Amino acid sequence: MSRWIACGLRTGTRTTRFPRPAGVGDDGAPSSITCRWPGLTPADALAAAALCPTAALTATGTEAAGTLRFDQGACVLCGRCVRAFPQAFAVDPDPRVAVRDRGRLTLELGWEPGRPPAPRPLTRAADAVRRHGHRLFRHSLHIRHVDAGSCNGCEAELQMLGTPYVDLHRLGIFFTPTPRHADVLLVTGVVTENMEAALRATYAAMPSPKLVLAAGVCAIHGGCFAGGPTTVGPLDRCLPVDVYVPGCPPTPQALLHGLLLAIDRATERAPRAGEARDGA
Amino acid sequence: MTRSLRQLAEDRGLRTRAVADDELQASCPEAVFTELVAGLAGPAVLADLFATADDARRPRLTAVLQLHGDPQWLVLSTELQGTTFASLTPIVHAASWYEREIWEAHGLEPIGHPRPAPLRRHLSPGAPPLRSPSAPEFPAGADPRPAFGPAVEGQGLVQLPLGPVRSGPQESAAFLFSSGGEDLVQVSPRLGYKFRALERMAEGLPADRALVFAERLAGTSSFATALAFARAVERAAGIAVGPAAEWTRTCLAELERVRSHCAAVTRLADATGLLVASAQYGLLTEELLRTAADLTGHRYLRGCLSIGGADAIQPSVVPHHLRRRVDGWADRASALRALLDETSTFLDRLDTTAVLEPAYAERHQLVGPVGRASGADCDARRDHPYLAYPGLPIRVPVRRDGDAAARLQVRLDEIDASLGLLRRLLDVWIEAPGPMGPPELRAGAALGWAEAPGGETLAFVELDSDGRVRHWRARPPAVVNWHPYAHACASGNNLTDYPVIEASFDLSVAEFDR
Repeated sequence: MSRWIACGLRTGTRTTRFPRPAGVGDDGAPSSITCRWPGLTPADALAAAALCPTAALTATGTEAAGTLRFDQGACVLCGRCVRAFPQAFAVDPDPRVAVRDRGRLTLELGWEPGRPPAPRPLTRAADAVRRHGHRLFRHSLHIRHVDAGSCNGCEAELQMLGTPYVDLHRLGIFFTPTPRHADVLLVTGVVTENMEAALRATYAAMPSPKLVLAAGVCAIHGGCFAGGPTTVGPLDRCLPVDVYVPGCPPTPQALLHGLLLAIDRATERAPRAGEARDGA
Repeated sequence: MTRSLRQLAEDRGLRTRAVADDELQASCPEAVFTELVAGLAGPAVLADLFATADDARRPRLTAVLQLHGDPQWLVLSTELQGTTFASLTPIVHAASWYEREIWEAHGLEPIGHPRPAPLRRHLSPGAPPLRSPSAPEFPAGADPRPAFGPAVEGQGLVQLPLGPVRSGPQESAAFLFSSGGEDLVQVSPRLGYKFRALERMAEGLPADRALVFAERLAGTSSFATALAFARAVERAAGIAVGPAAEWTRTCLAELERVRSHCAAVTRLADATGLLVASAQYGLLTEELLRTAADLTGHRYLRGCLSIGGADAIQPSVVPHHLRRRVDGWADRASALRALLDETSTFLDRLDTTAVLEPAYAERHQLVGPVGRASGADCDARRDHPYLAYPGLPIRVPVRRDGDAAARLQVRLDEIDASLGLLRRLLDVWIEAPGPMGPPELRAGAALGWAEAPGGETLAFVELDSDGRVRHWRARPPAVVNWHPYAHACASGNNLTDYPVIEASFDLSVAEFDR
């Protein structure tokens, strides 16, 4: 046993400083795909939407006038758009992808004759979204995880939260085996017919106040499994969701940011330029 | 001289057609199908049994067979005249779950099956088969919502249900423990909670788009599963893949194996309470994930594979840096292994825990580390060579103890072996070819395979003339390896052994449920 202790000490500290300094992640893994619309032509926008294997990029209209909707909540990061149109789509390693408002994951670009693609303001019910996290859980947060129908990618990343690189315990965050002790319900996967009842029962067994976190594209939107014959749909069709963490799967640091966002210990990434017009 | 699979088939009057050097296809009338498969499955091994059906034609039943020492696969199919077929299960036990899957997916009833119950759609009583809503519901007499497997009753026995919501960040599955207090008399798993009907959803999609589903069948073996699918499509359409793509694919497949095994050892060390070992293997896992992201832009190697072989490795990767990283992992893995091998508190938990005898493993035709720890000498990389493997020395570790310790040792052996393969592969750095146009696809059907971290994974793909997926059947290793789980749990273990048992098998639920 003493040799194990020596082995551990020799390794030294490997833990990331994330979310400090200034919330920059350091694992270098792509966390999202972003759209740089000044580099996008209407023809490219239509072609990119045809390439997308999920509903992340959907286009309407023609090259003369039309709309491209980019939903990060449905983006499985397959990279097809990035490879085909590198001037307009890019992989972003910033792990701060979590949002409280589902609408913030979407970007709508419109174009007309003489006007190149530019963001359109989003319409959304602003008051439906909690502006702040639950400060009550700032010092100690207990997570109840439910796999509602995932591929095990999200679970693999959740398990990485416990490894020394991330070590979520240093932040006062723990997994709990019982819903009675849980503050946040972390759900992965598209909700399947078979898991719906267990998911609802787990939520009902948690004491209030409680938070719900949708981790991964399957839980947020369904991703490529949206509309499947044995699935019920995305998580917010079953339960009220407080925080959305996109990714396929979300990286450990993205999951950590989502958890900290839920308890107001982290902030959302600065709004995209296109959102400034939206008045929120 | 033992007879080859082709000779065995021809002995039984079957005319085979070679679609490739390593794949024979044949069809036979329905009346003799069961007899033929049962006869061949004596000397050979039934690797898969599935049905394909669509509105345009009658359902087909297909069996995939392989023979030890023969690199050829035999894909034998028959057209069904009605909605029933003669069950193989009374003769070939390994067919049991395949037939239940066929029944719940297509409404085709296996006549004579000893336990006709839904396998995955158990919580949707009365749900019609996926294929055709007009097909009959599950046959009369079958309990539409069965409890767990056969129950054990007796004085002093308690039943303890666990799941489907688990205690940690784990996959959803339910288990019913029958216990007399300390000892574990029986464990009945109930899977299928995560049934996403993935193969069904991919039908009708262009092959390139269906690949996204194959990559998401299971997170821990994304690359191998997608590789089996891509190879099936390429073989069906007659597309040859260049040496650069084969080399890249071999490197990434070995990287995935090392990562998956390191994660499995992390979980096993955690289950036994050996926290430093768990942390150390966790560090290795995270480094392997980061390297995967550096190489392909995805921690789980998704999105880098493409049909036709224009696989994407990031141009920024420097070969000798990568080689140095692999050397570092190999040194650390062997140092950690030496420490594990002298930690008696850890080894005591694993010795004689959840024993799976070689005879049982043979009957169920187990694959992967679980099979190899119980004497099954199989590895698709050696038995059915593909990619760059024919030129590489493949060492297949086989142990016969069949306990948790043997499963650990097999995984540790494979970590060493795969890191050794990676070092050899990185001695030659093959530049990826430039961007290629989408490959020309044509109609066809073929089998694709790969040795995933959990064992041999199969994909049978039928393409339409416009390159769309008409049918896709995935048979990942967990479909086979969950079968003996209950038996191993009941081999004289204690309730407190359970986390160790589960971690030592390390079976994927998503792979089973699909």
